[in-house]
Amino acid sequence: MIRPKILQFDDGDGRSAGWLLLLLILYSLPLDTIAKEPISKDLPAAAVLNPAAELWRDVRQRDQPTTGSTQVRGVDSGVLINAYGDQWRKFRMQQLIPVGGYALMGIVIALAVFYLMRGKVPIEGSESDKKLPRYSTYERMIHWFMASIFLFLAITGLILLFGRPVLIPMLGKEAFSILASACKEGHNLIGPLFLFALILVFSQFVRRNIYQKGDLNWLLKGGGIVGKKHVSSNFFNMGEKTMFWMLVFVGAVIVISGLVLVFPLFGQGREWMELAHVGHAIGALLMIGVIIGHIYIGTIGMQGAIEGMKTGYCDLNWAKEHHDLWAGRAEERGEALSNEEVAQLTHNHPLPSSLGVRTQEAGK
Amino acid sequence: MIGQFIDGPLWTFSLTVFLIGVVWRIAAILMAGKRPDLATPKGSAGAGALRAVFSRFLPERTVTTQGRLPLIAGYLFHLGLFALLFFAQPHIDFIAEKITGLSWPAMPHWAFIVAAEFAFAGLILLWLHRILHPVTRLLSDLDDHIGAVLVFLVMLTGCLALAQAFEPLRLIHLLSAELLLIYFPFSKLMHAFTFVMSRSYTGATMGRKGVNA
Amino acid sequence: MSEPFDQGVQVLRQQIDAGISAYFSSCVHCGLCAEACLFYTETDNPRYTPIHKLEPMKKLWRREHTFWGKLGALLGLSEPLTEADFSEWETLVYDSCTLCGRCSMVCPVGNDITDMIRKQREGFSAAGYAPEGMKEATRRALEIGSPMGVTYATLKAALAHVEKDTGLNVPVDRQGADYMTLFSSMEVVNFPEYIAAITRIFHAAGVSWTISSEAFEATNSGIQIGNKDAAAELVNRVVTAAEKLGVKSVISPECGHAYMAIRWEGPNLIDRAYPFEVVHILELLDQLKAEGRLRLASKENTPMTLHDPCQIVRRGGVIQPPRELLNSVAEHFIEMKDHGVMNWCCGGGGGVSANERAEPLRLQAFNRKKQQLDESGVDTMVTACANCRIILEEGIEHNEMDTAVISLTELIADHLLEGGKEN
Repeated sequence: MIRPKILQFDDGDGRSAGWLLLLLILYSLPLDTIAKEPISKDLPAAAVLNPAAELWRDVRQRDQPTTGSTQVRGVDSGVLINAYGDQWRKFRMQQLIPVGGYALMGIVIALAVFYLMRGKVPIEGSESDKKLPRYSTYERMIHWFMASIFLFLAITGLILLFGRPVLIPMLGKEAFSILASACKEGHNLIGPLFLFALILVFSQFVRRNIYQKGDLNWLLKGGGIVGKKHVSSNFFNMGEKTMFWMLVFVGAVIVISGLVLVFPLFGQGREWMELAHVGHAIGALLMIGVIIGHIYIGTIGMQGAIEGMKTGYCDLNWAKEHHDLWAGRAEERGEALSNEEVAQLTHNHPLPSSLGVRTQEAGK
Repeated sequence: MIGQFIDGPLWTFSLTVFLIGVVWRIAAILMAGKRPDLATPKGSAGAGALRAVFSRFLPERTVTTQGRLPLIAGYLFHLGLFALLFFAQPHIDFIAEKITGLSWPAMPHWAFIVAAEFAFAGLILLWLHRILHPVTRLLSDLDDHIGAVLVFLVMLTGCLALAQAFEPLRLIHLLSAELLLIYFPFSKLMHAFTFVMSRSYTGATMGRKGVNA
Repeated sequence: MSEPFDQGVQVLRQQIDAGISAYFSSCVHCGLCAEACLFYTETDNPRYTPIHKLEPMKKLWRREHTFWGKLGALLGLSEPLTEADFSEWETLVYDSCTLCGRCSMVCPVGNDITDMIRKQREGFSAAGYAPEGMKEATRRALEIGSPMGVTYATLKAALAHVEKDTGLNVPVDRQGADYMTLFSSMEVVNFPEYIAAITRIFHAAGVSWTISSEAFEATNSGIQIGNKDAAAELVNRVVTAAEKLGVKSVISPECGHAYMAIRWEGPNLIDRAYPFEVVHILELLDQLKAEGRLRLASKENTPMTLHDPCQIVRRGGVIQPPRELLNSVAEHFIEMKDHGVMNWCCGGGGGVSANERAEPLRLQAFNRKKQQLDESGVDTMVTACANCRIILEEGIEHNEMDTAVISLTELIADHLLEGGKEN
């Protein structure tokens, strides 16, 4: 029998200063809605010997093999009561929800503070009159496909996880039950598409995300976040590569655990489901945190960062500042195009004047 | 109550608009007329038309060498949506109860899930292609986006109502389907019917010339 | 608003029939037609997407045939078709479309986009928005009888040369002949070898034929610029001459759009069926060969490939005859990738060759043909259209390629078994 170790620690005694700090903040906030346990208050205080205790212990199968024998065929049909269910429930209510919630809030606050300090990172040489082709239509399609699937799953998943403490007080139980049902069905149905998106994104981008010489240097210099100097980097920098590999590995954990949860076809029992749920939630919260940072850079964090993913072309100066090794090679290959050429290839743009009506030579 | 309205009068209204609208659109096209072709034919117009109606379900190689993803997405979406629309148990029940009184076997649950995955993946990818590819970006107008958004809403609300446990979710799905039905005859969604006409006209012209189109 | 503009809109309005309505109703803006168009594939400019070239006609259709369009017009919200639309779209409609018909083959909803552009050109030319070169060609065709200004006197001189070279008599205005032959001006001026070739072939095969001194011109600028009155007038000349001579058939020369004009559009332009048959020269040669009247000797050893003229093959339906004929004289006939009805256009059809300002774009579009040729690895290209020939030769010269372009009819004539001995 596999005993899920992660379920065995029973309280969040901080192991580092960071944890402690987070927990201090956490416990200083009113959390009764989260931690309120549905234990009857009328329970007698004195320990009366319960004649059913013996039976109860046996049924819970604490000290014996977990499965009994039964005529009923099915997964877990020999288990009367899952002994770990309560541990899992406690973990979800007392650790996962509060810690996860404040961690996400912490990321948002940290980014806000960072934005207030640094503002939008500009293109230092300001926008040039040339652009480099950065992402093909296919690459942009699969990126935004992944993005839309991820956002939908993140929002529905967060509603399911934090709905009880956050949304029930706002919407009331009845409305929330409808919302939760909708989110659950939507999350389960769209979920498998994340695997599809992950495969598409992985196979298209993996080659450019293999760590290269110079990546460590980027890390040592803090990726240019600490201090104001830009650090040399390739098509993708160390940070992007790390995000990619997190997406691949953490994403794989999320996908596998998700499939375990949504398709009870592989003979998995409740314990496996509990384990999968814990992996799924922690992995997803981690990725959501990372993606919040990713979205921050793309939107308000940095000038020119989202252009490549939007139009397929990025500003030459931006490329030189943020991905100089790639930009240099691309420019050498003669890939740089003038802004006018790019406008023609991407948008509704008038034809070059050589083809215009004005050049019509009459009488020929 | 709003629920009764969506279930009753609005449903009747939207179905009527849809049916009359579609018939009106098709009749308007047919009534515009086409001059008879006086050139001596080399092949059969009828056979050419019939051939084109079916042959155009498969793409020419010229378009398969470029951008395979939108093609695959096109198949995923259309096949998935078709299966969901006509072979999902709740839809069959609904059609039997509200429209025809006839019912037919539904697809199994796993096929339903697969069809839904296909349809969602296809529609999202197609719409992304529409806004990201320079050609479709240039061609697309408001109608294309409204059509895509309405179909997506119908699919999404349907998937959110999958538990079939909450009346409001079913009503939202039905309401979005009704909006789609009302919008349908006035939009590009009409291609679901007129493609047969376009293919036939072209197929007939080419068939007369002895070209398999 | 000027008068020609109103007339243009009116003509455009008349073009919208059941077909056009069905096509616009069905188009879902999928953009697949772009991949079929050599002007798009060679430039990557989205404006060259075939269906985008129809925006003016679509605008009119939307406004007058759709609910939202009519509502918008009623409320004064939607903009009507303007003169600016015509001027902005003129180059798209004439310079970047050869009416080659590839887009019509790939459209998933089956729209005949080529036919739509052909019809839209009617409105454009009526409004006066057509390239000067094509306007002039049409004027010359109507006034002189040929878009290149070739008169019967010019033809007569060419025929005298042919008679001298071949030692054969070229029958002119012979009453009651089986076949009346037409030529394209380009053949008379640039490729008189073609006239010699058919003279020898018909002599060897014992074909009863003639040329009309009144109507020998097969090309029809009217169908290229989109002027159905001019086109009908040009067709009518041929029909009148053929009826006068009492021929059983009229032979369309190699030229692609001439075949389209006389074979497929002609009866509809003059509003009546012909009392005679129209055959393409390749159809006739193929038939003569099948009947054993056309006997050929020896085969070329040079590897050869076939450029399919769009209007003859894809839009005309003469698909197998050129292949049968080429196979009978070439030992190594190698098909190009995308051959037959999906072959790529030379870039100069549909009047583009008569449109000088389109030349830079046309040469850019030729890259598609160049790539096809490079892939085939063959240096000899056979074709059956005088216009294709000129355009291909220009492209080959521009790209400094080492490719020979030859006429299929002339190639057949070179392998003719005359009087039992090989020529």
